[in-house]
Amino acid sequence: MINLHYLIGLPIIIGIVLFIIPEMLKLLKGIVTVIITIITLYFSITTFQLDNELARLVCFTFPSLTKFMDFQIDYLSKLIVLFIGAFGFLFSLYSLSYHNRKNDLTNFYSYFLITLGAAFGAVLADNLIIFVTFWGVLGLTLYKLIKGNDEESSSAAKKTLIIIGASDSLLIMGIGIVWMLTGTFNISEISLSTTGALPNIAFLFLLIGALTKAGAVPFHTWVPDYVKSAPASSSAFLPASLDKLLGIYLLARIIMNMFRLTEWATLVLMIIGGITIIAAVMMALIQHNYKKLLGYHAVSQVGYMVTGLALGTPLGIAAGLFHMVNNALYKSGLFLTAGSVEKQTGENEIDRLGGLSKAMPVTFIAALVFAFSISGIPPFNGFSSKWMIYQGIIDFGKGSGIANNLWVIWLVMAVFGSALTLASFIKLIAGVYLGRQNPKLKKVKEVNFLMWFPQLIIAIICVGFGIFAANLVVPFFFERITGKFDYIGIWKSQSVTILILVSIVIGYLIYLWGNMKKHRVSDSFIGGEKIQEETEFSALEFYKTIRTYKLLSFFYDKAEKKRFDLYNIFKAIVLWFNSLFSKAHNGFLPRYIFWYIAGMLILMIVLVF
Amino acid sequence: MNSLIPLFVIIPLGSAFLMVILERFLKNICKVITPFALLSLLILTLHFILRVEDTQIYKVGGFEPVNGIPIAIYMVIDGLSKFVLLIISLVGFFSILYSLSYTNQYTSENKFYVLFSLLIAGMNGVVISGDIFNIYVFLEIAAIASYALVAFGVEKQQLEATFKYQILGGIASMIILMTIGLIYWNTGTLNIADIYTQISNQNSLFLKFVSLLFVAGFGLKAAIFPFHSWLPDAHSSAPSPISAMLSGVLIKAIGIYVVFRLFFNMFPLSHEIAMTITVLGTISMIVGVLLAIGQWDLKRLLAYHSISQMGYVIIGVGIGMLVIVTGGDKKIAALSIAGGLFHMINHSVFKGLLFLNAGAIEYRTGTRNLQRLGGLAKFMPITSSTSFIASMSISGIPPFNGFFSKVLIIVAAVRAGYNWIAFFAVFVSVITLASFTKVQKYAFHNNDGNKWLKKNIKEVPFSMSFSMIIMALLCLGLSFFIVPEVRDIFLNPAVQILVDTMEYSTKIVGM
Repeated sequence: MINLHYLIGLPIIIGIVLFIIPEMLKLLKGIVTVIITIITLYFSITTFQLDNELARLVCFTFPSLTKFMDFQIDYLSKLIVLFIGAFGFLFSLYSLSYHNRKNDLTNFYSYFLITLGAAFGAVLADNLIIFVTFWGVLGLTLYKLIKGNDEESSSAAKKTLIIIGASDSLLIMGIGIVWMLTGTFNISEISLSTTGALPNIAFLFLLIGALTKAGAVPFHTWVPDYVKSAPASSSAFLPASLDKLLGIYLLARIIMNMFRLTEWATLVLMIIGGITIIAAVMMALIQHNYKKLLGYHAVSQVGYMVTGLALGTPLGIAAGLFHMVNNALYKSGLFLTAGSVEKQTGENEIDRLGGLSKAMPVTFIAALVFAFSISGIPPFNGFSSKWMIYQGIIDFGKGSGIANNLWVIWLVMAVFGSALTLASFIKLIAGVYLGRQNPKLKKVKEVNFLMWFPQLIIAIICVGFGIFAANLVVPFFFERITGKFDYIGIWKSQSVTILILVSIVIGYLIYLWGNMKKHRVSDSFIGGEKIQEETEFSALEFYKTIRTYKLLSFFYDKAEKKRFDLYNIFKAIVLWFNSLFSKAHNGFLPRYIFWYIAGMLILMIVLVF
Repeated sequence: MNSLIPLFVIIPLGSAFLMVILERFLKNICKVITPFALLSLLILTLHFILRVEDTQIYKVGGFEPVNGIPIAIYMVIDGLSKFVLLIISLVGFFSILYSLSYTNQYTSENKFYVLFSLLIAGMNGVVISGDIFNIYVFLEIAAIASYALVAFGVEKQQLEATFKYQILGGIASMIILMTIGLIYWNTGTLNIADIYTQISNQNSLFLKFVSLLFVAGFGLKAAIFPFHSWLPDAHSSAPSPISAMLSGVLIKAIGIYVVFRLFFNMFPLSHEIAMTITVLGTISMIVGVLLAIGQWDLKRLLAYHSISQMGYVIIGVGIGMLVIVTGGDKKIAALSIAGGLFHMINHSVFKGLLFLNAGAIEYRTGTRNLQRLGGLAKFMPITSSTSFIASMSISGIPPFNGFFSKVLIIVAAVRAGYNWIAFFAVFVSVITLASFTKVQKYAFHNNDGNKWLKKNIKEVPFSMSFSMIIMALLCLGLSFFIVPEVRDIFLNPAVQILVDTMEYSTKIVGM
């Protein structure tokens, strides 16, 4: 069990030690962090070889705590642990170069390591109280991984912590109800059916905890705000990868281990999944900030995972988990590219960027791979998991529940969402990397090795997971979690890849032989005028038509005023109560005395008489 | 007989009188005596907690009971008193360390220390008194010292606050004294243990009436809704270390502690009173936080949160009381009470620290209006990080202490079947978090803070930052109270006193 000590304890302890080292030695802190992440990566790989069991850590200082220290090692937790370890290593490398500027986020590496250890702890813990403790620490580090020296970022941090904290509090309440119903805090011993009021409330509260962490509608509103103003490495680390892994992990535990879902619970989950896919991608379409656009996609993709898991069939759950892993890969990769672009150009707004493909070739290719993956284009990994989800939904339609009968709706939502994703990524790629180069960006260069290497590795994994999905990846990682399942369609990822490669080669040959290279290049003639900047091809202009479309603009207007944001709705209600109560506290002594006497009399009347 | 017990009153009271005389000859003597007095109290308390088990009493004058009826004034130290004494001396010691630099801004510094010692003497006296009349006497010592300390800055706002505080406090004291008289009239004794044996079989209208008068009287001292109205003014106008003492300790020692002691160990448990306390606690919790979130005056915001956090303590213990009364599982009752008491010590540490932080901010920038602050994280790193820890503690974010006590309270409330109360506790916790992220944002972040460059703002002096750091470490360290081994030493003796309601009187009457 030495693995668990290293995975959970080591990063947290070193993280705390790093607080003491002054900020001047940032590079040293970074190098220590990279070394620690290499160690945890090694142990997270070796965890994969351990037997599946409920490991109990002996707590020497406080023997009575030992009975709480159960850690669940099964294929699900192994999978998540492996990817947390991998992401920890890649992002620490990236941060080494990304965070080298002066006056940057303080104590980044401390919080980074604590996050890593707490994430391992949350995934492995079997006792719900231990679990929720680690889980809560993740909310705290999320809050500290954003710079708070301007209005926007400190508001985003505040909003994030409030939403995450609220969901955690409900989670605790849910855990309390589960304890009352079953008499145990151990996930492995809990088995509840969602019938009756209390189990349903417990289910709902645990669900809110999971979905808020993962960022599903309507608890998603912290994600776009957070990623817009947080450093790219923080965004890639928590909202894009770890929070997704953990949120969906909890959802999987709820669905697979703790609760048996009734058809209504399935329906609720399917609706949340479907709405998440569509609503978030519609918002993503109209964004013109690189990071914020990615933030909305980070929400939208959660819809697929929720949909997959909600299906409840082995195929569906495997698809959902596969999509979770894929999404963590390409989404964090996309954030890394956004960070690279931001670091080299100092710019996040898509319309001020453009034509970076030549200056930053590795970043461009990585971004292209990620964009294809997220849009579900074969043979990349995003396609594989989406294809499994589609199959799962069709298969699900054979069932007899309410949600099963509506399978066409879920399928349409999923496919349509995928198309819209592609549309918005065409805008991103075209706006940032293609098109005419902005004259101000002439001097931009590729980022250094430490920054492009993680992007490249993640891109290679994305391609690899896509190509070898059906034969290697799914059987190795996912069938072991859910049990064996059959595809209802055909999916031979390798042969399809070969077909695609062949068609690309043929296309290139036609391009070479067809004399297409000798096209004529000249400036467009506009009455003798020189080309102005406004007449340039702009990726953004095209998408403005969506924004002004009548029916949609109604929703967009409301959404931009944050009318659908639960955070703002509750804020307004609470502040209304505040003003109401404040009016009563006007500082007049006679009134206070009156209250005192009146309160006493009311108590007397209620109780004595 | 344990002759160390009177020291809890003698040390602070003696040093107060000594200082009045000595300060005429030695100007800085107060700054030496008070910290040492508090330190010795802290050591004494730890001695009692770690070395002395079981209930200890001291009979003033050495009069033995006649026919089993106690006639001497009893000073009693049991699990609950030890626990509250720990709170008093812990927060008191760090507040006084902090004051060493903070009081530089006042002209008659020495009087501050004299009044501070009197405050401590009063609170210690309330906690170790074994009879209700002495509780009243010491309560008045503490209350009058606090009236003077609230007004210590002698500015308009402070005088107004202390005036309100005095009037309302006076009404409450009067009610308490009258009730004590009524009880004496009925039972012929003032000793808590003896009163219990006299009235334990009664369940009359008289008892209900007297109980409610006590709720109203001590409810004001504890700032329970609807008797809370004095608190925001008084606690926000006092000098910051005093605010820390008032919010962190005073409302507990002379309010909550007495309520618990009387309703568990003196009156026979009754469902109505348990329900009243729990309901009032729930309302205080909600009203307090809803009032707090809109405040822009930092200390006023903190003061309103004290009302709300006291609500947590009360519902924790109140639910325990309800469970005992309805004959439920004693383990659940113990869990709930442990949650409440745990939150009590947690609250005194983090709220004390938050007031010290507010004082540090005011000390350097001269304002505590959140709208005029911002960007201080860069200039006051210690204040900023300790305040962050305290804010997260009060909001119940792990791994800080507030999280664990809130988890205990919520989980126990659900287990006992009070789902709505648990839900309100969750709701209040969220709004608490919201208002403390607001504090963090507007005080320490929100802008780059370049306006402070001109004013040459820097970190506060050593004695202030030192006590803030230690209090912040305590916020982390108190989390270990959740561990059963540690809980057995510090928390469980106190819980046991409340769960086994009869033990107290049988033990004391027998001695």
